[in-house]
Amino acid sequence: MRHALPRRGPTARLALAALAIAVALRVDAATPEPLPTLLSARAGRMEASVDLSAAFPAGTERDFGNGLTNVVAIYVSVVPDGARSPVALYGRVVEILFDVWEETYAVTVKDPRAPQGVHQVLPDFAALRRFLSETRGVDLGPTRALPSSSYHLEARVEVNPVSREQLQRTREYIANPSAGTRTSGGTRSVLGAVASFLLREPDPGSDVHLFRSRSFAGSSSAGVPR
Amino acid sequence: MTGARSLLRRAVGALRVSRFEAKIAVALVVAATLPLLGALFLAGRVAEENLALGLDPRVVDRLEAVPGLYGDLFQARKQLYAEQARALARGLPSERRKAEAYLRAALEKTPRLRRAALFAADGAVLAEVETQAENPEGEWREAPARVALPGGGQLVCTFAIEARYFAELGEARELAELVQGVDALRAEIRRSYVRAFALLLVAWAAGAAAIGILLARRTTRRVTRLVEAVQRLAAGDLAVQVDPGRQNDEVAGLARAFNAMVREVRDSRDRIVYLEKISGWQDVARRLAHEIKNPLTPMKLAFQQLEARFKASPVQDPAFARLLGEAGEIVREEIGTLQRLVDEFSGFAKLPEVRPEPAELGAFVDEFVRTSKQIGASADVDVVKASGSCPVALDRQLMRRVLTNLCQNAIDAARPRRARIHLGIARTRQRAVLTLSDEGPGIDRDLWDRIFDPYFTTKGTGGTGLGLAIAKKIVLQHGGEIQVGDRPGGGASFSIALPLTPEAVSAA
Repeated sequence: MRHALPRRGPTARLALAALAIAVALRVDAATPEPLPTLLSARAGRMEASVDLSAAFPAGTERDFGNGLTNVVAIYVSVVPDGARSPVALYGRVVEILFDVWEETYAVTVKDPRAPQGVHQVLPDFAALRRFLSETRGVDLGPTRALPSSSYHLEARVEVNPVSREQLQRTREYIANPSAGTRTSGGTRSVLGAVASFLLREPDPGSDVHLFRSRSFAGSSSAGVPR
Repeated sequence: MTGARSLLRRAVGALRVSRFEAKIAVALVVAATLPLLGALFLAGRVAEENLALGLDPRVVDRLEAVPGLYGDLFQARKQLYAEQARALARGLPSERRKAEAYLRAALEKTPRLRRAALFAADGAVLAEVETQAENPEGEWREAPARVALPGGGQLVCTFAIEARYFAELGEARELAELVQGVDALRAEIRRSYVRAFALLLVAWAAGAAAIGILLARRTTRRVTRLVEAVQRLAAGDLAVQVDPGRQNDEVAGLARAFNAMVREVRDSRDRIVYLEKISGWQDVARRLAHEIKNPLTPMKLAFQQLEARFKASPVQDPAFARLLGEAGEIVREEIGTLQRLVDEFSGFAKLPEVRPEPAELGAFVDEFVRTSKQIGASADVDVVKASGSCPVALDRQLMRRVLTNLCQNAIDAARPRRARIHLGIARTRQRAVLTLSDEGPGIDRDLWDRIFDPYFTTKGTGGTGLGLAIAKKIVLQHGGEIQVGDRPGGGASFSIALPLTPEAVSAA
């Protein structure tokens, strides 16, 4: 049976065309970099070590050493070849704070295994870069849950995305922008309160790096490069 | 269940908005929100400009650079302390006792130096001094500076660095991170302000609509009641009236005018109906009078002939003569009664048209009392004038007849006692009111509706039931009204309301 597509007006057709162009451009803009990956099975679970050094060039020392809290979010997913949706996903958030007195990097790593975070002090940027680039212990779940067909890993690295805490702090700020000052207006705080309530999480921004590994054979011969 | 349904129906009814209400509400919403729609357009710009002002990139950059500045400060201090430690190491005596004295002196001379310790190559402490004096710059944190000495020893100097720097650094970092976050969320913040403004605008419009409906409903309810009343009036309900409410606006004025119009229509209809009824009865009276009057004269003549023949007869039977005499009395009396009835019927049937002339009601009543000797002979009459002049238009002869009929009824009701009749004159805005009351037994309320019907009488065979009907017809023909009531304290009361002359009304 053949279904006729609903007839659309010229405005709708133009909007659809614009959307298609935007998607196409976005896809084109998001061409992933190669992701060197090492898979290993341990106690029935698949773990990966990925090299994300392309996301952390030497020039980032100035950013990470600015004395402010920097956040790096790393997501690694298992995607069957030819598919778009991942079958397994691992996420890790790394908070980095350069201590300007001690001149060391205090790092807190949060992932499903340590949601409260594991603290670590790294002596210099080289150590930090190494730490961020060589992401080890990426838990991809039980080996048997991996696709039976070939698959690859995709990694997404977001540098300084707006965190939930940051979003909350901003909400409080715009809800009461004049707190602590002498100029306060009722109308403004009502508007600010509503605006803070309606403040949504933004897009991750432009500092996003995408990686894609080579293909691996299915779960029967897990971790074997094809 | 039925109660709940009724409640639900009432709630739904209350929520139903009429077209008029909707129009007023829409007008209010448009009036309230139209300027705000423009403001909504500007809101995004204002938010953007405010954010641009508040988040000047130079300010953001400077704020983000603050921790680095503290880092530079710390670096400078570390270098200074290292240099001072090296200077101390250069002058350090080799003898242990002298070294301790040297370090103690250095502790006093070197700013921010809190402690100095000299270690041998094997780590043994050779000399150690520490000041207990308060740091002039307040709270402090340790800043160690180590100098390796020739021969493997080490001089460790502990300097003080202001603790407030670290607190300030923490605050600056917090603020910079906040500003950084706000900067990162800039577009979203602008959008959220526009959304918030739009939401408040919708709430504002909803409020305006609700207020509009409430305001409109106060008027439309009364208009709706008026419309319903007009529909009932169109359906023939002349008893309909509308509550004008406590407000004094156009709608209340319209309701009052409607009520007055309905009353006028009802009175006119009643008047017309009554006059038509009277007219019908007048026809009946005319025919009856004619039919009764015609045989009366032959009957009278025939009996007179019979009496004349008997008187002329040579044979006189005394018994028959007595019988004939008694019969003659009866016949003459009955014929006389019938003649009076015929006269009354004729008088009722031939009521003349009213020819009103300007008159002052008080003066007319005074004249009536003064000239009605027959009334004065049977009743005590008093006149009370509650207001000044009452100029009216009346037919003096017919209105005298009205008063005569009413006074005669009062006299009949008071028999065998002498009647007391009270005449009162007052005026309202548009009418002069003449009240005639007596101190008789009064009239049963159940009879009030029929009391003005022709041939209705409470006097038994003595009355024709035409007196009040004639009085009402005359009053109605004057454009007035007559009503029966009770006199306070006992007795019947009749009030006659006559329209004041237009000049008197306009003067009032």
